[in-house]
Amino acid sequence: MPVEPVYRAEISRVSILDEHGRFDGALGADLIPDADVVALYEHMLLCRTLDEIAFKLQRSGRMGTYPQNMGQEAASLGAAYALDRRDWMVTCYRENAGLFWHGVPPELILLHWMGDERGNHIPADVQATPISIPIGTQMLHAAGLAWAEKLRKTGAIACTFFGDGATSEGDFHEAANFAANLDLPVIFVCQNNGWAISVPSRIQSSAPTFAQRGLAYGMESIQVDGNDLFAVVYVMRDAIRRAREQSRPTFIEAVTYRLRDHTTADDARRYRDAEELAAWEKRDPLVRLRGWLESRRLWSPDQEAAAKERSQSEVNAIVARAEGIAAPAAGDFFNHMYAELPDELRRQRDTMRTSSLGQDPSECSREPSPPPSPAHAH
Amino acid sequence: MAIKQPSDKSHFILPDLGEGLEEAELIKWRVKPGEKVAEHQTLAEMETDKALVEVPSPWAGVIRELHGAEGDTIKVGAVLVSYEAGSGARATAAGAAGTGASKASAAGDRPATGSRVAVAEPDESVREDAGTVVGSVGGTMRISTALTRRREDSAASAPAGRALATPAVRRIARDAGVDINRVPGSGRGGRVTAGDVQSFIGRDTTDRAGATPSRGGAAAADAAPVLISTDDVSERIPFRGVRRKIAASLTRAVQTAVHFTCTEEADVTQLDVKRREYARVLGTKLSFLPFVVLAVCRSLRSHPSLNANVDDASGEILRKSVVNLGVAVDTDHGLMVPVIHDCARLSLVAVAEVVGTLAAGCRDRSIAREKLIGGTFTISNVGSYGGLFATPIINYPEVGILALGRVYEKVLVRGGAFYAGRVMPLSISCDHRVVDGAEAARFLGTLRTLLESPDQLLG
Repeated sequence: MPVEPVYRAEISRVSILDEHGRFDGALGADLIPDADVVALYEHMLLCRTLDEIAFKLQRSGRMGTYPQNMGQEAASLGAAYALDRRDWMVTCYRENAGLFWHGVPPELILLHWMGDERGNHIPADVQATPISIPIGTQMLHAAGLAWAEKLRKTGAIACTFFGDGATSEGDFHEAANFAANLDLPVIFVCQNNGWAISVPSRIQSSAPTFAQRGLAYGMESIQVDGNDLFAVVYVMRDAIRRAREQSRPTFIEAVTYRLRDHTTADDARRYRDAEELAAWEKRDPLVRLRGWLESRRLWSPDQEAAAKERSQSEVNAIVARAEGIAAPAAGDFFNHMYAELPDELRRQRDTMRTSSLGQDPSECSREPSPPPSPAHAH
Repeated sequence: MAIKQPSDKSHFILPDLGEGLEEAELIKWRVKPGEKVAEHQTLAEMETDKALVEVPSPWAGVIRELHGAEGDTIKVGAVLVSYEAGSGARATAAGAAGTGASKASAAGDRPATGSRVAVAEPDESVREDAGTVVGSVGGTMRISTALTRRREDSAASAPAGRALATPAVRRIARDAGVDINRVPGSGRGGRVTAGDVQSFIGRDTTDRAGATPSRGGAAAADAAPVLISTDDVSERIPFRGVRRKIAASLTRAVQTAVHFTCTEEADVTQLDVKRREYARVLGTKLSFLPFVVLAVCRSLRSHPSLNANVDDASGEILRKSVVNLGVAVDTDHGLMVPVIHDCARLSLVAVAEVVGTLAAGCRDRSIAREKLIGGTFTISNVGSYGGLFATPIINYPEVGILALGRVYEKVLVRGGAFYAGRVMPLSISCDHRVVDGAEAARFLGTLRTLLESPDQLLG
């Protein structure tokens, strides 16, 4: 028997607006109306301002740990822009730009990082799940949501976001297998920022692309310049069509870079080269988009200054709203687990601030029972 | 976690700059007293276990005082800077001066450019009671009902003055039959800790048992704040630097190890003769210390239970196969204890040299950090400054420490006859959890025999 190939595949990479300002007129033409590009750019400015202020809120003790998004704005924003309001955004924690565009109030995300879980109470008319801090859990949720929408024949799809590191988790593989074998309308957007905290991609995977991991499950898989808003919208439109018309999943590897630390509890200078960072600063999605807008006389330095000022005051207002929300009452944690509170928990709730735990208040006045006799020295 | 800052913006408390950090080193101040700062302006550069970070001001204001010098370690929860009274409110937009009552009024008409000062942090009681959204609800904010509905939380009406404590601590109190609201809290924000409950139980016991007035008085002092007279103060010295480190490690030692001390005298008349001979041959001054070091190393070999560390975290006693001998050194900035590693391998002359080098390194603070750690037993030659017996504090997690008293001439008796000799007072403290009194006494006996028989010691 001869040896013959049974399967061949390749991974394509899509780039429309590159870091040198070159624009692919064929792919990019009529992709996004000019007015929308302006709005998207202003939104990215707002998100970046919020990102920097959020960092300072953590450093001055006004917020807990926070993961900065800077540098990765285009990937989630391009995806959210291409999606409908009825579609699900199932994110981790570096998709602020997309989430806000999709309708999640920014103050809720700040509230979450301030330690108030009510920040994850997404308004009922916004199709987004709470941001997922544990790595990888949300991809299965997205597969499940897409399955439900398919069974209900709503036409809505799910789009989930995760990092390069998450593709090494078992959850990813389960979700990808379900999605491909059950024909689910779900889009997997892998934000490959090169680093799983301090673990570089080359240690994470021996394959030249992460898109191959999607390919292995038999789904369309493609790589895109994640810092190129146009290219992200382009590949998303293709994936959305596949999901809505054929109910088939897509894996998108968006190659990007976080320009700041993993979180406020991290110091990326300890494991990343300054040269690598400098190279990626030149590929900053905001710099690139601004250059494009200016070259088409859609944007001016005056507009830039005004937009920055607007962003600043809007962020101040967002922070004031988040900080103005009263802290939850301590008894609240009894209120969300059971429809009917068991007696023991009711006793704890009713006595938590009035006496020792579970002790009936009337017992407090009774003579304390003698403690064990004191131990002798030596 | 976010930390609660004072609502009057009078001072800024150092928050956890990372995740679960307890302190940070102040590297560089970036502001000066009297300087006007904006919200988010960098106050200082600090280094945590993980990163070098810039610490921004949480509000605009005028700096009144910087707390701490560059190089100091600042604890999370300590005041970092204080602001001129009211300067936070003046320097920003139309906000009120940060009381709970004024916060709601700031909601609607606040200019968008204003900082958070307009929505002042409500005080704890208001937060607990209201359970509703304050500040600028409405407008463009799309907020879910969970955030706005009024809670029917019975705890909300709890009066002030009730204890704050975790469920675990409440359980301890309940099991002991103690009303937790009577227990003074020493934890963060006045929280009652397990230790508070324990000491409260202890206090109750002594009260009931009719303990001596002094014991009762001492216990009562735990609960009430200590009254400190500020009259006639000649100098205020901040508790920091080496002094602070000494205080912290000694407090820990005393609170952890169970100390006992026993004493002995060694007749060093013969040893003194040897010492003078050696000094003459070597042409240098030579103290008793190197001889005692040799004798201690030899004695520890016979009594290995004293050459150990206690690992309280894992609940283990770690006996050591080598003697890393700490030698207490008095310096201008306080007590330091350099360690002679694998001391038993050194000759008398080498010991004398090493002790001299280490002491000099401590005094000019050039000593490497690794030469200050890893000790298995410590000698304090306090007698060189005077005094006969001492109750030395163990250099925790070691289990034994020997103090040498002043060598002096004394009338001694041997075989029924008087003679004039020189004696060295010896005091040893041990951790009774590890070393019993009999073993400490046997160690002193071995040590005394060696010191009294220089030929055996040096042979």
